[in-house]
Amino acid sequence: MTWWRALIDAGAVAGGGGRTDEAESGATVGADLVEGSELQIHRVADRTGSPIPPAASFLNGIERWSVVAYDGVVQVVNAYVAAAVRRRDKTGVLHTTFERSRAFAIAPLDRMSPALRQALEQSAADIEAVAGELVEQPARYLEMVEATVRRGRARIERDLAEQAMNDIGPDEWLVIDGLLSRSPDVARHPRALGVIKSHGTQFLEGRGLERALTLPAGHRTSVFAVRGGHTRTEVYSWYLRLWPWEGNDLLYGLLRIEARAHADSVKRASELSRWLWAERAPLATPATRWDRLLYPLHHVEEYLKTRAPRDLQQGPRRASRLPRLAS
Amino acid sequence: MNAIGRVVATELKPATPHQFHFWTATDTAIGIGAIVKVGGSGTGDEGRVVYGVVTEGFAYSDLATPLHDVVGAEGDPTRAEEAPTARQQIRYWTAAVLRQTPEEPLQPVPLGQVYVADDVDVAQALRMDTFLYSATPTAIPIGLYTSAGREAPVYLDADFLLGPEAAHLNISGVSGLATKTSAVEFLLASIFAHFPAHKGRVAAVCFNVKGPDLCFLDQPGDLTDEDRHRYQALKVPAEPFQRVRLYAPLKADGVNLNTLRTHPDLVGDVEPLTWGLQEVVDFAEVLLNRDDIDAKADAFIDFLRDRVLGKSFDDGFGTTHRVQTFADLARLFRSIFDGLEITAGGRSDTWRTHHIATMRKVRNRLLNISTRCKGLVTDDGPSSDLPWKGFEDRTVYVIDIANVDPLGQDLVFARVVSKLREQLERRELGVDAVVVFVDELNKYAPGDGPETYVKKMLLDISERGRYLGLVLFGAEQFRSQVHRRVVGNAGTQVFGRMDMDELATPGYQVLTPATKSKLATLPIGELMIRHPHFTQPIFVRFPKPPVLRGRDGVERFPPGADVPFEDAVVRQLVRLDRRVRPNQVKDLIADREPDDVRRALAAVRRIRPDDVLAYFRKVLGARVEPEARMLREHHAVPPLNPISDEPY
Repeated sequence: MTWWRALIDAGAVAGGGGRTDEAESGATVGADLVEGSELQIHRVADRTGSPIPPAASFLNGIERWSVVAYDGVVQVVNAYVAAAVRRRDKTGVLHTTFERSRAFAIAPLDRMSPALRQALEQSAADIEAVAGELVEQPARYLEMVEATVRRGRARIERDLAEQAMNDIGPDEWLVIDGLLSRSPDVARHPRALGVIKSHGTQFLEGRGLERALTLPAGHRTSVFAVRGGHTRTEVYSWYLRLWPWEGNDLLYGLLRIEARAHADSVKRASELSRWLWAERAPLATPATRWDRLLYPLHHVEEYLKTRAPRDLQQGPRRASRLPRLAS
Repeated sequence: MNAIGRVVATELKPATPHQFHFWTATDTAIGIGAIVKVGGSGTGDEGRVVYGVVTEGFAYSDLATPLHDVVGAEGDPTRAEEAPTARQQIRYWTAAVLRQTPEEPLQPVPLGQVYVADDVDVAQALRMDTFLYSATPTAIPIGLYTSAGREAPVYLDADFLLGPEAAHLNISGVSGLATKTSAVEFLLASIFAHFPAHKGRVAAVCFNVKGPDLCFLDQPGDLTDEDRHRYQALKVPAEPFQRVRLYAPLKADGVNLNTLRTHPDLVGDVEPLTWGLQEVVDFAEVLLNRDDIDAKADAFIDFLRDRVLGKSFDDGFGTTHRVQTFADLARLFRSIFDGLEITAGGRSDTWRTHHIATMRKVRNRLLNISTRCKGLVTDDGPSSDLPWKGFEDRTVYVIDIANVDPLGQDLVFARVVSKLREQLERRELGVDAVVVFVDELNKYAPGDGPETYVKKMLLDISERGRYLGLVLFGAEQFRSQVHRRVVGNAGTQVFGRMDMDELATPGYQVLTPATKSKLATLPIGELMIRHPHFTQPIFVRFPKPPVLRGRDGVERFPPGADVPFEDAVVRQLVRLDRRVRPNQVKDLIADREPDDVRRALAAVRRIRPDDVLAYFRKVLGARVEPEARMLREHHAVPPLNPISDEPY
């Protein structure tokens, strides 16, 4: 019996639904160009040499949550976050090297009735207590829940990244799905890269922004330093277009890469970009964002999905909320 | 033992009581035909164990559509190899259930772990434990199960191979790979080594219908170390048959043997096979084609058989006949036709109610056989035959009819099998079971075509032989073209490499495409077996037979040229008695009529006296009296399907 079933048996009302997609926070953050005096476009798509490092690991994570019970208007949430690092061997096959997950309940304990709170505390092993002031505003409450879950995911991704960085070989790279700068240790590592698919935060403006958003496929922008705002540790960054955006949209196939803030990152930006450009194949289908999702990162995500609890394996309910009929 | 896979089931592809699906690592020893065991976690408290054989395999990746691969490689196939990450892929197998324990209640296969079957598992899976470990074991090794890196002996149940529960074996396969003949040779060796004592004595009769295929079963062949290892694993001696009796008709000259085993070192072991009128008339139906089979001809043959042969008979035209040979029969017919022509003035066309046209037809058929099969059928004189009352245990009787006229082959086949049936019914053959190996069943028991006597006889063996111990081992290239009842009654079915066109026929619909594909590419020495105890076909490997293959035999022992008449007579007499001096024989037969010499020689062969030369001299002195047939009780085997009940 699950803990929320115990909660429902104790008198709570059953619930369902959730949201999973992560989006980079929408903001404009300042950036300093560190490669040249003006943001330029650099071609990276050539087939000279072998840009793919002999060893690479890939880190990705997932988050799942669902309202599973109501104590009056108090929504009690079942949440699950997981992350894994999978190392690619010489044959191109990925193997899990690190993996961590957390299943926990989210509830404003101080707003719950004593009986249900007791039932929750007795049946759930891991409870993340949240503030209760948004309980009467269900939508905002759920946004807070989502942020809580996302923080939980970021935490285990960061822990796992740090653990992986201690383990990788002298020529091995770690590619992280998302921001590199969550962990200072990782952000400063010479062989760690962050791959960002969401572009809610803008770092450029004017001519530079136009060049970045109309970047041709197989090209990168000049490297710039990301400062302030959402990042705790300064990193260098650049845009890379994997697939032609013409005929699609400005963000189609557009990645933002993060590397340590070091002159070597500028020196190797084209080489690293050529590597990531080579990672376009195989396509990360059937993921809807396959144009920006590297297959190994997609693979890690799929791996984690198969290991997630069954009742949280499905995405957020988008189907009709009409009563279910017996069949 | 480590699990190599796990059963998976979906709504679209669920596990059933007869089939399940499982996945393995990409790099696995499992293949089509491998036997696996489902057990371990997921099989419930009762510890249900399921054995299955892999019948189909799939591999696929997470590629949603082939177009995505094209896009990823930008339309350049050479770039597809440059993808740094290998797509997630699966090896997904379908297995047919061989056995479940407990067997009741029969339930869908649990979603447990999958293991490679070991030797004990193979015995369990194929239900061999019931006849392998019983107080009176009846296991006959057929080969080694070698899938998934294993080498487990596979056994057939003698009760279901040689009767009485089921019987007969049918083997199909394309020609030229030496699979069919080799498999039967090995299986005969295995039967002789493992036929259980409580089931009595067993022998085999093999018809050699092609070249030298079965002419050297007593000579050792070349075996590899692997073959010897397999013999050891199967506990079958890797040596040629210890007791082989070869029979071959004579050539038209009546003294040289009509076989490819005429090398001077070996020809002495070949017994001549010659038959006279009586043996032929008993099977006259064989000689008549479909158009000939009518009540009138049948009645006249019966008349000859009952009233004429071996008896004093007045032809009604003033001549008394004693018909014992084809020559006598020819004289009788000539007398009748002359009588009708001269005495009756050509006005009558019937004799003893038989129309002259019917008589002419029967005469032509009967006398024609002595011409077409000269050497097998003696125009004049006694016969040399198989030891119908003295078959020996674990002995192979090879009858070489490869160079005999097709009509003669039919006659030999019909008579030998009928005599075997007759003697087994009387329990007078000397053995309790006889395996009859017939190659080219396409020819002798075709699915379509006329209802020949031979076909009816093969049907009779197939349907009733198991009660008698008369077991048919049939081989053919195209199973679909053999009579359904002949094939259907074979309890054990063996398949070598098959032609894809043949596999497309309805008889193979039960096989999966993967199994068909494996059958179409089966290497020499590998077979697919179906046996009553096996719920699914099983692939096995068998060692090369321990005997000299036909074509190797003629290379090692090239056939000798025909020897002159005198030398052939000497050779035959010396074979019977090594004390015989060639010059003595040559002196004896000088200036003698060859027919007289042949008759004397046949008499010596038949009597086998202690002093061969003395007896030969004695019988050569006068016309040799044939066997006293008038005293012989008529034992003609009744037609299997009487042509007519109408009396003559």
